[in-house]
Amino acid sequence: MDLLYMVLFAVVVLLGLLGGVTYAILFERKVIGWMQIRNGPNRHGPWGLFQTIADVLKLLMKEDIIPAAADRKIFVLAPILAFAPSFTVFAVLSWSDTLYAADLNIGVLYFLGVSSMTMLGVLMGGWSSNNKYSLLGSIRGVAQMVSYEIPLVLSVLGVVILSGTMNLRGIVQYQDDIGMWFIIPQFLGFVIYLISAIAELNRSPFDLPEAESELVSGYHTEYSGFRYAFFMLAEYTYAIAISAFATTLFLGGWLGPAFLPGIVWFILKMCIFMFIWFWLRATLPRARVDHLMQFGWKVLIPLALLNIVITAVIKVWMGW
Amino acid sequence: MFRLLKGFGVTLNYFRKKKITIQYPDEKVVMPERFRGIHRFFPDKCIVCNMCVNICPTDVITLTGKKHPENPKKKIIDTYNIDFQGCILCDLCTEVCPTDAIVMTARYDNLSSYTRSEHFKDIEWLSNNHVYGNYEESGPVPEMGERGERK
Amino acid sequence: MSIKTETMTLNMGPQHPSTHGVFRLLVEVDGETITKAEPVMGYLHRGSEKLAENFLYTQFIPYTDRLDYLNAMTNNYVYCAAIEKLLEWEIPERADYLRVIVMELNRIASHLVWWGTYLLDIGALSPFLYAFRDRDICLDLLNEISGARMTFNYIRIGGVKWDAPEGWVDKVKEKVKELRENIAEYDTLVTGNEIFQARTIGVGKLTKEQVINWGISGPLARASGVNIDIRKEEPYSIYDRFDFNIPTREEGDVFARYKVRIAEMYESLKIIEQACEQIDEGEIIHKKGARIMMIKPPAGEAYTRAEASKGEIGVYAVSNGKNKPYRIKLRRPSFVNVSILQDLLIGENIQNLVAIFGSLDIVLGEVDA
Repeated sequence: MDLLYMVLFAVVVLLGLLGGVTYAILFERKVIGWMQIRNGPNRHGPWGLFQTIADVLKLLMKEDIIPAAADRKIFVLAPILAFAPSFTVFAVLSWSDTLYAADLNIGVLYFLGVSSMTMLGVLMGGWSSNNKYSLLGSIRGVAQMVSYEIPLVLSVLGVVILSGTMNLRGIVQYQDDIGMWFIIPQFLGFVIYLISAIAELNRSPFDLPEAESELVSGYHTEYSGFRYAFFMLAEYTYAIAISAFATTLFLGGWLGPAFLPGIVWFILKMCIFMFIWFWLRATLPRARVDHLMQFGWKVLIPLALLNIVITAVIKVWMGW
Repeated sequence: MFRLLKGFGVTLNYFRKKKITIQYPDEKVVMPERFRGIHRFFPDKCIVCNMCVNICPTDVITLTGKKHPENPKKKIIDTYNIDFQGCILCDLCTEVCPTDAIVMTARYDNLSSYTRSEHFKDIEWLSNNHVYGNYEESGPVPEMGERGERK
Repeated sequence: MSIKTETMTLNMGPQHPSTHGVFRLLVEVDGETITKAEPVMGYLHRGSEKLAENFLYTQFIPYTDRLDYLNAMTNNYVYCAAIEKLLEWEIPERADYLRVIVMELNRIASHLVWWGTYLLDIGALSPFLYAFRDRDICLDLLNEISGARMTFNYIRIGGVKWDAPEGWVDKVKEKVKELRENIAEYDTLVTGNEIFQARTIGVGKLTKEQVINWGISGPLARASGVNIDIRKEEPYSIYDRFDFNIPTREEGDVFARYKVRIAEMYESLKIIEQACEQIDEGEIIHKKGARIMMIKPPAGEAYTRAEASKGEIGVYAVSNGKNKPYRIKLRRPSFVNVSILQDLLIGENIQNLVAIFGSLDIVLGEVDA
């Protein structure tokens, strides 16, 4: 019975996620369009609501091309490996007080551990395509994701220290107890999280692995059709997961005035993160590889460590 | 140090501003009268002087004339073709035309087709290409003797 | 134990988003560091110079539009000026003013395209659309006067094709103000941006010696401290009547080129304003110029040069007294400027390659002619 419930829940989350990704893409295109004094998609359906659906259908109908020189097995496996972990992490996310899949007491650790597997997909995709641009893109991607994994984890540690638990539900409940979202005591951690999350997601201004104007889309240059769709799906799923994670950690998850149900608050807060990412993409130029690395190692990591020290001091002295 | 944050203000400002996109098939850009669009041809004005054929840098104009039925000294146009595969819409043909028989309209979007051969437009198509432009809609054929003058 | 490493040959182009056309760069990379770069061009070669020999003098004007299609007015002008020099014609004053206004408007449009696409190369998406909005302001004005948005074919040997339509000059004055405000906004959005500065300051340095030895001209040269601008050096048309500065910078890096181009847009706006004030009624074309099929310069040769948005553009025309030129030689600034690439790229990484290549501001129609 438990198993059935779990499978059902996973299917529901998957379906919700597909819808979520569909409209996240539309949301992105609308936001960026408006910032660029354009209208964004508006041809399919009212307000362009079916634009992404049309795009996906087009991708699914395309010929499935595997380059002759590609390493076939890895090439096929890569999109799946990119998508699977970004979906798996949704198991520990708690959408509202009652709506969740697993009440895992190492939720934070699980999330961070599993999500870092996404980079395998990137590496495999870039390597197996047998394309020089893809190779460069994937190597850049892996270097970047490995480097930014560290400040990401360290920034989350502050929250873990304050709340004393790694359970994501526990963290939200703790915020409820002290009557304050962690964004206030953990503002530095929040900023570090935000920056390293962008790098983790390969989003602009840190979109080096897929730098359109340099590497011709980087690691997924050779992908087309539904495999490409899978990569895109993985990217946006991961974006949603990261913003959901941030909502849980820093913005008090489903907490909010009672006139709206918890899940609505949760999604609204996630939208803020998504908006910030799209806003960044519309504004900033791309950073350079060496600057990015230097920034990660020389600025973010020391700051994150400092944040941990300060948090620990506060925790012990103030007795939170 | 954080001057890059100002940029966010700029993009956010545009977020709320009016959009400037022209929804092309529904609304179209109104081209100024002088716009060098696709030609229009007035067969009754043509005096078969061959000036346009001579000036055309891409040699896309071909024409033939026949004798005027009443006045054997004059000629009238028989066929007039422009091959729009090669036409660069440079306007030199209308510039040399002594009688304004070939003019350019402000139309720019009625040439798309699925085959190349459809770009070969004959006298009938060119005469019926009825749009506004930098020319007189109708009027008497100007007198001879203006050959070579600017229109 | 040492690991055996190999360099990789990377073929950038002819289909690559940041080569801005059909240009190929054969780069040898060691990791991401470039050890050798070889530009391969000619994919867009149309033999313009040879074509000119079979054309009437006026017939070649539309072809000059298609060299540097972003700055067609100056190309028109410099070709016509060469023929006028052969003919020894006086140009009516109003025609000269109209020429200056359209050339400067076109220069702004060209620099705006550069600004937008360069930021696109660097990875910022929005500036491109803002730049094209402002470029459209210029193009609409040019469209009204010349009847085309890019390939103007407006300037004629001996003058210009059309007089300005009614109210056009006032409209230009108005739009100049609008443009000035919009360009100021670019500074807020991009110039101060730290990421942008980090990517451009100190990158792709060109020394004064390199500039002179390679014959580089235009904003590229002025960003390296070589103060050369044909508009001041050898004032053609009526440029000696206007008060404007030549922005120069000493650094020679990509950021300096960026600043020079932005400053040049302001200077162009200044010139346009002054020209709009000074312009008078009058003839627009030399009395013989209107007969475009009858132009027959006496035998001789002439070289004219002008400051295009990319650099010094020159036309060397030889006439043998017939109605077709004996020889036309075009000095295309993009072609000369792009040749520095093989020296400039050594030791840079691929991201810098894009930043440097974009900063040269080449147009492939002009490189390949």
